[in-house]
Amino acid sequence: MKIDNAHQLKVTPGFRGWSIARQLAWLYALSASVMLIFASGFLYWVLITTLEKEDEQFLSSRVQVFDLILRAGNTEALEREISQENIGFSNSQYRAYSRILDESGRTLYEAHGMDREIPPAVFPDPNQLTGKAKKWRSTANRSYVLIAAQTGDNDTNRPKRLIHVALDETGEEILVSRYERYLIGVLLIGILVSAAVGIITAQRGMKPLADITRAAERITASQLHERIDVAQWPQELVSLARAFDAMLDRLEDSFSRLSQFSADLAHELRTPINNLRGEAEVALSKLRETNEYREILASSLEEYDRLSRMMDSLLFLARADSAQTMITSLTMDASTEIRKIIAFYEALAAEQNVSVICTGSGEMNADPILFRRVISNLLSNALHYTPVGGEITFSIRSMDGGIEVGCRDSGMGIAQEHLPKIFDRFYRISPSRNIKTEGAGLGLAIVKSIVDLHRGKIAVQSVVGQGTSVRLFFPA
Amino acid sequence: MHILIIEDEKKTSSFLSKGLSESGYIVDTTENGDEGLLLALDIDYDLIILDVMLPSRDGWSVLSMLRHAGKQMPVLFLTARDAIQDRVKGLELGADDYLIKPFAFSELLARVRLLLRRAPPRCNETLKIADLEIEFERQKATRGGNRLDLTSKEFALLSLLMRRAGEVLSRTLIAEQVWDINFDSDTNVIDVAIRRLRSKIDDPFEKKLIHTVRGVGYLFEDR
Repeated sequence: MKIDNAHQLKVTPGFRGWSIARQLAWLYALSASVMLIFASGFLYWVLITTLEKEDEQFLSSRVQVFDLILRAGNTEALEREISQENIGFSNSQYRAYSRILDESGRTLYEAHGMDREIPPAVFPDPNQLTGKAKKWRSTANRSYVLIAAQTGDNDTNRPKRLIHVALDETGEEILVSRYERYLIGVLLIGILVSAAVGIITAQRGMKPLADITRAAERITASQLHERIDVAQWPQELVSLARAFDAMLDRLEDSFSRLSQFSADLAHELRTPINNLRGEAEVALSKLRETNEYREILASSLEEYDRLSRMMDSLLFLARADSAQTMITSLTMDASTEIRKIIAFYEALAAEQNVSVICTGSGEMNADPILFRRVISNLLSNALHYTPVGGEITFSIRSMDGGIEVGCRDSGMGIAQEHLPKIFDRFYRISPSRNIKTEGAGLGLAIVKSIVDLHRGKIAVQSVVGQGTSVRLFFPA
Repeated sequence: MHILIIEDEKKTSSFLSKGLSESGYIVDTTENGDEGLLLALDIDYDLIILDVMLPSRDGWSVLSMLRHAGKQMPVLFLTARDAIQDRVKGLELGADDYLIKPFAFSELLARVRLLLRRAPPRCNETLKIADLEIEFERQKATRGGNRLDLTSKEFALLSLLMRRAGEVLSRTLIAEQVWDINFDSDTNVIDVAIRRLRSKIDDPFEKKLIHTVRGVGYLFEDR
């Protein structure tokens, strides 16, 4: 059943489905054949028409000679001309035979043996086909070109005569048929050779592609540092090899981020579980006072909270990645939402003596809860890195096709080397993992995810010692 | 007050039952949906705590059968599924509240109390606990006769704590009720806000009214 289906699905590939080498070889052979056929056909045509023209010219010049002699009325010369016709070229393939007839069709003079070989009846009627030659094959299987001409007029001095001239072109025919055979031979060989050359050229031409494929096959997840663009590739493949290498760069980067992420994730999850386990084990190792138990349970609760918050964040990020999260876009006033978050952080900001203000206003389309989360994460981050007496400013600006929300702090700033990574999951600028002072390092990753979900853009600028500015763009 | 817990995970069911019993409720538990539905149709419970993923009959179905049979007791959904569509579905089927696992027991308790009270929280003109008195209308708080200088958010926070005196309020619940922030934030904003409130209403006085329940939340109580 399955095999049948597979068979049905198998579509005979059209020309476009062929390999490039095959296509090239075929096209090459086809064009070479067309050229060959055209060239040899033209040459053949030229040869045939030239021969025919020559034959006709020869015949008409004979007719003119006889006409002149008849006008002169020199019967002796006429006789001599006819009988000695082929003497000069006895070995020639081209033999001419002539005959003079009178008005009633009676033979006056004719070449020796002509009566048997070429009877008068086969000649064309000169009244119908003046000057036109006729091809005719004799019983002895010789090929002739025949011409008939009328001479004289109603003038009494010049009696009407009929001139018959025949040219034996058997030799010419043999030549032409030999030429045809050669031509066909040359054509066949030419087509075969051009096909072969086409195949070889195409295969040679495609070889770098096979090489590049092999080079690509060599690269595995563990050898992502290998690059293709080291060999001397033909010009067409250089850009492909570069693009491939660029893709490898990105893959390598993603892989290293991913492995960093797994390591961080393992660390972040193991730490609280380890604490929980350790505390519980120690607690159970002997009988303890009631408040000791309470203390341990309370500490466990804190760890559970930490775990469940992390789980929430990770789930959120995973869902945002798979883009299954439906965002409920509403039109809202950006400054109202931002002021709400600022109010939430009021106590924390007052504690650190940091002033938080919001300037500008504008309508925007976003999921309100997600947007609040973005602002909350940004503000929490900014508060974390802004020293006592600092200032955090949110600014809202309407732009072409959307709205820009900026968050600028007067904090310690971020060194350039960290900037590209601050939106990575679990990325923290200080390597020490002090959960109490810093979050799990997922805050900015969530900001990026939410901005991505809204098809927005995010940009960060930072000067160490002067502060950081994050700009978010939300399309309308 | 009689509560039915329909939950197939034994540990969850057991701590819920224990916690609620200790808070003074009469608790029945069952592990499967069919049995839960029969019990709920038979007995007039004051509240049902319902898990979504259950053997034999899922929570959605139990709820819709109950509502179909005309039972209008409040139902609180418990579920590990936190997708917005699921929440919407639960609420559309007639659930009264929705809690996502993992949840804080204190939060569950607070919500249970809210559902059982049904009536809006008391909005008396004034409320007095120990020597602390607040006038909601005038946004005025005094302790021992001295006027307390509170910001509006501090007043809102104190109002919440006093109205729900004796209940442990989780940070999530506080953030939601006072600031309308309905997502978990990693920060210690609530702790700082409580600390600042304490410095005004508790620090100058001998008797402390705001208590920390470590790992759970805060509690206003005249001990």
